[in-house]
This record gives sequence, C-alpha cells and structure tokens, in this order.
Amino acid sequence: MDKKTVSTIAYLSRLSLYGENEDKITKDLENIIKFVDQLDQVDTENIEPLASPLEKTAKTRTDNITAKNRKEVFLERSPKSNDDYFLVPRVVE
Amino acid sequence: MSVQYKSIKELKNMLNNRDISHTELIQETFLNIKNNSKLNAFITLNEEESLKKANNLDNIAGSGSLAGIPIAQKDLFCTKDLKTTCGSNMLSNFIPPYSATVIKNLENAGCISVGKTNMDEFAMGSSNETSFYGNVQNPWGENLVPGGSSGGSAAAVAAGIVPAASGTDTGGSIRQPASLCGISGLKPTYGRISRWGMIAFASSLDQAGPMARTAEDCALLLNEMCSHDEKDTTSIDEAIPDFTENLNSSIQGLKIGLVKEFDLSKLDNDVVQIFEESKKHYESLGAEFIEISLPNISLSVPTYYVVAPAECSSNLSRFDGVKFGKRCDNPKDLEELYIKTRSEGFGDEVKRRILIGSYVLSAGFYDAYYKKAQQVRRLIKNDFDSAFKNVDIIMSPTTRGAAFEAGSKGDDPIQMYLEDLFTIPANLAGLPAMSIPNGMVDNKPIGLQLIGNFLDESRLLQAAHNFQISTDWHLKTPSGSKS
Repeated sequence: MDKKTVSTIAYLSRLSLYGENEDKITKDLENIIKFVDQLDQVDTENIEPLASPLEKTAKTRTDNITAKNRKEVFLERSPKSNDDYFLVPRVVE
Repeated sequence: MSVQYKSIKELKNMLNNRDISHTELIQETFLNIKNNSKLNAFITLNEEESLKKANNLDNIAGSGSLAGIPIAQKDLFCTKDLKTTCGSNMLSNFIPPYSATVIKNLENAGCISVGKTNMDEFAMGSSNETSFYGNVQNPWGENLVPGGSSGGSAAAVAAGIVPAASGTDTGGSIRQPASLCGISGLKPTYGRISRWGMIAFASSLDQAGPMARTAEDCALLLNEMCSHDEKDTTSIDEAIPDFTENLNSSIQGLKIGLVKEFDLSKLDNDVVQIFEESKKHYESLGAEFIEISLPNISLSVPTYYVVAPAECSSNLSRFDGVKFGKRCDNPKDLEELYIKTRSEGFGDEVKRRILIGSYVLSAGFYDAYYKKAQQVRRLIKNDFDSAFKNVDIIMSPTTRGAAFEAGSKGDDPIQMYLEDLFTIPANLAGLPAMSIPNGMVDNKPIGLQLIGNFLDESRLLQAAHNFQISTDWHLKTPSGSKS
C-alpha cells in the first residue's frame, strides 16, 4: 500500500486526508491489509461465497402503494431545499 | 422505595402492587440519569415525553406487557422526532421522521424510551472511544471503558439507571460491553429482529437485541422486539415463541460444546479460572461437555475485517450532505460538497473502515479480498453447522479479559479489533449468542458467552437463566451486592 493507492481509494470514498494524518493512515491500512492477507492461505476452490447467513432470496410482495407522500417532511430535514427539491451547488453551467 | 438496580420483573411487580406510580418511576429514573451524568451514557434525553407517557399510564391502565418500563435506546435506532446521531458529528442535527420497527414494537408494549445512549461512531469500535460525543465511563471504575459499541446502553443498565436498554451487535457490540459492564445481553439470530430504521453499518451482520440485568429480562424484552417486518427483506418469517416459557426447565442432559481451537492459554489466569468454575457449575446443573472442532474459527477476525468494512463503505455512501445530516459550509462545487462534508462529518475509525472497504471492493482486488472473505465465511458457517449436529450450545469466554483503561490499546487498530475474537464468529454465521456475568477479576466483571443454533434463542435463555438462579454474579453492582 503506497500513498498513491491511498489517495486513489480516498478519492473513491470521497474523503480527503489531511497531510498530518496521511502517513499514519497509510501505515494503518497497510497493517490491516497485511492482517487480512492471512485469508490467502485458505483453500477456497469451489467454495460458494456466502453473502448473508440467511441465503434466501428476498421475499416478494404485491406492489401496492403503502407509503404516503411525505415530501415536506423529508425536504425539511435537508440542509438546503426549496419547496420541491434538495438544493446543491450548480452542476451544469 | 428505590428503583435503582431493579430488574424489569421487579419493577413490573412494584407497579402492579402500586408500591410506586408510573410517574414516580420515571421521575426517579431521570434523577438517577442526572446523578450519573459523569458516565456520559446518554446523548439525548426524552424527559418531557416520558413523563407525559407515565402520567397517561397512571390515569389509564396500560395494556402492554412492559407498560411503564423505562428503556434506554441505543442512538443508532431512528426515533421519530427525537434526535438520532449514531455517535457521529455527521448526524448531530438529524431528527428522524419515523421510528425503527423495533422501537415501535417496544413502545407498543408500553416501554418508555427515556433517552438515546452514547455509542462508538456508527457502531465502529469496542471501547466507546470513537464517539463524537466523548467516552462513556464504565460504572465499575473511573478510567475503565464500558466496551462498545453499545457502551452507553451497557453503562446505563450496569449503573442501575434503567432496567433495560436496546443494543445492536455487528461483531460483538452487545455481548462485549455486556461482559465488561457485568450485565446480560443477547444478540438474536440474524433476521429475528427487523433492521428497518436501524442505521446500517454492515447489513449482513447487524442485529439488534436486548441488554438487561438478567436473562429473564432479556426474554421479556425479546418477546416484544421480534416481529416479521415486510419493510426488511431479511426479516425472518418464522413463528416467534414465548421466550420465557422454558426458562425454568431443567438443563439436565444439555450438551455444551467447547471449541478446541479457542486457545485459552493466552488469556489471563483469572479469566481461565473463572471459565473453569462456570463449567463446573454447569456440570452440577446436569450439563455435559463435548469438545468440538471449528477448524476455520481463527480466520473469523480477518474475514470480518474484509466483510464489515466492505458493507460499511457501501452503506455510508448515503451520507453525502444532500438529503439529511451535516453539510459543510460554502462548497465551491458538488464534488467539494461531498468530500468536505464527509471529511468533516466522519471520525478517524469510520474513515479507516470506509477506506478499507473501498480498497477490498475496488476492481482488481474484489476477488482477492471480498470474494475470498465470503468464501471463508461459508467455511466458518459450515464448521458451526457440523458442530451443532453434536451439541446444543457452544460456550466460551465473551472477552479476553475485564474492562481495560481508556487509551490503553494504543493507536494500533488491530489490537482493538482482536477484542472481538470470541464474539465475531456468531455474527459471521448469523447465530444467536449471549453474554452473562460469570465472575470478577480485580473487582471488574467478566462474562460467559453462550452461542446457540439458528433460531434457538429459547435454549440460550434457558441455559443462562438456570445459571443465574443458582449463582449471584448478575446481582453484583458497582456499589456492592444487591440485596
């Protein structure tokens, strides 16, 4: 794990790492990756990955509308909104 | 009559006999919360609403099985119109427009949610030191951590402030703090309790559960917390038994598995000694011990530290400063809004796990880490499946030792990760597991872990209750033994 990799994954995560922390974070990540690398020794050929302990496909139900439109309730929790939309800085000039 | 350290069962009797009114109970609860404010167990209190509910119960008899019982809710559950921070600066202003299903279930049963408890930020930690709202103090000692992530819930119950608290457990976050604070805590089978309205950390591992003074109280709470929920696609649609029904049945002939691969020689002598005494006690109750092998168990922690960060990095991408929660000041464009908001809103441990998650999920590494970890996860689950052909429950210490001092794990995250060595396997396999107090080391409590087979919470609670009616470890309090 080098600083370039760390800055790439930081960007993928939309996080910025400040200068003072960068060395420590790089070292921590390196140690954690080294720690999980022990999984490499296990023979997992033909083993189906287990994504959830239930292993059931999601139950389906009839597609009825059950929720009420509560637009105002949700918009008022936004840091910035108008009557109809969440507001963010202009994307298209 | 003091209500401090009383169990749910005792408080129910006091209320039924009119030894105390609902209002008096809630008033004294808030007095105890304030007298214990140095513990920093609560982030938000719900005093006015709680007193209103108590007053209503005094005027109109409540019908729920837990009518008037004060409960502390982990600040990870959404509570309608009550601030929900998840221990993070990111949600320091978040007031949910709805309550989690499990909160609704408890309140429908009559529970009064007196406040929201402190926790490791987004449930990522084992000492409550990652909370944006400061450390929680373990009632058993000033500099001791309460464990985590449900540290505030465990401390509030251990200090006798409330008889009950909700917790969540992704890798041990109910059981480890229960062990370190000397209380009882149960992580049910994955899917037993709805996750709807729980702020997600690792969706295939997260499970809510009860924290209380006794196994019997955990059963009373579990009875109300469980429900099949159409809003959670992983909610199990199976019959929910009355978890109190078999509590008093004898455990004669119970087969208890001891994991050959758990190397207890690395633990403190005191912890091993206490574990041996608990074994003897179970033998005296009629249980028999069988050595079992879980060959891949030693890979649980590394497996967890791929799966959990991967799911966390995905779940926490929703915190972008647009729809709710914190937003940075004056972003120059949309990208800066995301990056600055997230960098300011998340603490170091959360960032570390998001970064690990992004790394193990990124193109080129996905197969080597994420897929590999999921394959090992299956091997671990298969090991449990084989073991449960020969035993009814599995027993181990809950933690490697008693509560440690804040700051003592240094700044090496892996040392903290190993704190959950004994608890993580049950989350990977989705199995129910609980921790009950079974001894003291230097006047600090430690816990015994019982792991059950899929959906077999009843047997765990029965084994725990049988232990508790014949021992008094669960009656010890930081201010001496309870009379």
